[in-house]
Amino acid sequence: MDEFNDNEITKLLRLKRYEQPAPGYFENFLHEFHRRQRDELLREPLWRICIDRARDFVFPFNLSTLTSYPAAVTAVLVCAAVISLRIYQTPQPATVAAKDRPVLVTPASTEPEWTLASPVATRVFNTRSLRSMTKSAQTHRSGTPRYVLDSVPVSYETTFKF
Amino acid sequence: MLAKLAFLAAAASLSAQQIPESATSLSREVKDVFGRCAKAVVKIEASDQHGELSGTGFFVDPTGTLYTAYSVGGEAENVTVEFKGKKYPARQLMADLRSGIAMLKVDLASPALPIGNSDQLEIATPVVTIGYPLDLAETPSFGMIAGFDRKCFGGYFPTKHLRVNLPPQRGEGGAPLLNLKGEVVGILLYTFENNSCYALPIEAAEKIRSDFVRFGEPRHGWIGANVAEASAEVEGSRAVTKDIMKDTPAAESGMKSGDVVLQIGRTKVHEPEDILDASFFLTAGDVVPITVMRGNEKLTFSVQAGVHPASRNVPRLPDGTELPASAALRFNRVIPLNLQSAPERSP
Repeated sequence: MDEFNDNEITKLLRLKRYEQPAPGYFENFLHEFHRRQRDELLREPLWRICIDRARDFVFPFNLSTLTSYPAAVTAVLVCAAVISLRIYQTPQPATVAAKDRPVLVTPASTEPEWTLASPVATRVFNTRSLRSMTKSAQTHRSGTPRYVLDSVPVSYETTFKF
Repeated sequence: MLAKLAFLAAAASLSAQQIPESATSLSREVKDVFGRCAKAVVKIEASDQHGELSGTGFFVDPTGTLYTAYSVGGEAENVTVEFKGKKYPARQLMADLRSGIAMLKVDLASPALPIGNSDQLEIATPVVTIGYPLDLAETPSFGMIAGFDRKCFGGYFPTKHLRVNLPPQRGEGGAPLLNLKGEVVGILLYTFENNSCYALPIEAAEKIRSDFVRFGEPRHGWIGANVAEASAEVEGSRAVTKDIMKDTPAAESGMKSGDVVLQIGRTKVHEPEDILDASFFLTAGDVVPITVMRGNEKLTFSVQAGVHPASRNVPRLPDGTELPASAALRFNRVIPLNLQSAPERSP
């Protein structure tokens, strides 16, 4: 900037003000651009030009694009596998419930009939129980229970008989 | 004048201080009962034909025997008892439809609530209950004795029940009713209107337990007499035998229709409803002295009680009508103790 002062710049701009390209310059501009591009290309060694041509023939697509396809497909497959596993996985309700309520795991008919065991032991009723139990009843307590407090007596006395 | 004003002011301030003092004292007593007794009160979960159920029970001996309501443990299966945060399997020892209670057994060393005396209760005696309402933790409720009823809901209780003014909640069926000494005086069985409930006196439950210990089952007794209200009071009693059923202990003992009943065992009879209490505490097979007035003569009969129809598995409708055998239900279920079980040990 030190070499030019304002006057010189003004003078230069005034001089260039009337300069015009040669006639047909803009019509030939694209043709001239391609010609110079080809000239630059022809300055490459022959072997390198051959390699480039061969690569373009064998891999018509962009290499980076091609590598992204397998990655995307793999991701989709993994997601599908995870979802299908969650949906179609076979449940094991008895095992799960037994873990929640360990005291009710073993069927009622297990011998001995009853023992004085720790709470994690699995004896339930003895074999002389008046009621039969289903396995589902042993392993599950689902839903809201009925909270018991009767509003009427379970039995009435008849008359004053004794 | 100034002295009088000063005296009144002092008295007023003293009474103002006394009210919170008594309330604090009562609160302390309730807290004390809750602190001592809650550990022996358990949550009971089970299932029956209607689904899952939840109620309350309490230990009455150190070997894991507990009382609860018939509706909780009487017809349920898969019974578990939640004690100290753990669930233990329980089995039914006995269920008695007449009294409305059931006894369960958990195989562990347990704390036990002391048994009190409901005869010492009076109207307005403060009581406490501890139960497991809904899915909540053990909860104390405070109230007072409101009455001693034999008749309610259009029928008669098998024996006198305690009407208690305290707010019961669902899930507290089978909870203990405690006096302020921490002794059990009743078992919470039925709710009654708002903030009121009925409890079976503990003596009635203990009678059933005594039967179970002696015979392995409840043995309600009766002698076969039907009592009505007499037109006039005789020797303080209005309970007159209306008819004596054939082939019953009463008939065999020589009792006749028209005898005015004065006393059955240790229970003095003043009116027909007193028969209910006396009858409930009869045990089949036991000999009971019965004092009657026949004309101007006071007679005492020794009668061996027979088995009450309620113990014969005879299903009845609330009006007393017997159902046919095809509709039979097992009223009193018993699973005898297995004395060959392993020695007890704490969990």
